[in-house]
Amino acid sequence: MFIFTKMTQIPVKINNKNPKLASYILSQYGGPDGELGASLRYLSQRFAQTDKSGIALLTDIGTEELGHLEMVGSIVTQLTKGEGARSFDRYGVGDYYIDHANGVYPSSASGVPFSAAYLQSKADPIADIMEDMAAEQKARATYDNILRMSDDPDVTNVIRFLREREVVHFQRFGELLVKLQSKIK
Amino acid sequence: MENNRQITAQQLMKKLSEAMFYVNDLKLYLDTHPEDSRALRMFDEACKNSEACREAFEKRFYPLMACSSDCDKEWEWLVGVWPSQKMA
Ligand SMILES: [Fe+2]
Repeated sequence: MFIFTKMTQIPVKINNKNPKLASYILSQYGGPDGELGASLRYLSQRFAQTDKSGIALLTDIGTEELGHLEMVGSIVTQLTKGEGARSFDRYGVGDYYIDHANGVYPSSASGVPFSAAYLQSKADPIADIMEDMAAEQKARATYDNILRMSDDPDVTNVIRFLREREVVHFQRFGELLVKLQSKIK
Repeated sequence: MENNRQITAQQLMKKLSEAMFYVNDLKLYLDTHPEDSRALRMFDEACKNSEACREAFEKRFYPLMACSSDCDKEWEWLVGVWPSQKMA
């Protein structure tokens, strides 16, 4: 089960407004390598794991990713808080405003709605963990792209933290893979 | 010693989030190194510290978990900074 705690892993406090940057960061909410896909992937794959380390790691990383989803949604909200239709339009994201106004909608930076087709659940522990390692690298690469676009230190601090977590997750999945492979031999 | 009057919600939250981060990171490590006795001891210590930090924050500011709400008068759970909001 999950129990909500009223805080984020690190505080999210964005002072400036920037609907355009928000629309880029939204990709880590509901885009192809975003946190929603990450948490759904791990929390779904764990049901087919038999190794206790595998079950635990997928559960614990999947849970952390749900917290990251919340942090990304919070960045997007704070970057657009109080901004109206004209502001969105001036920033070049009037189309997002028409569909969702100041709402956080799970979609990619290019406007594609979230899809479960971004992930797999194969009941094959090796295949699943290999996918997870690739997913962590793709999430890390997306955070790198966001860091290239952002010049707001309030945003950059949080994005750097999230990027670093993907590196740690990749490391842990790698250790799990070695363990699973050694059991096969 | 820190002057109690000057401790802000932000400062206590920083301590708490650092303590919880340590717990979480050790937890992932232990998932793949379940027999590391040094990490086990560190985890035990980290959990106690994070629990104490959370209680200190909740006592002074607002409930972070529903069951920490003070139910004497009104629904205190509503009080505080929700994840979409930023701390003052
Ligand atoms: Fe991750």
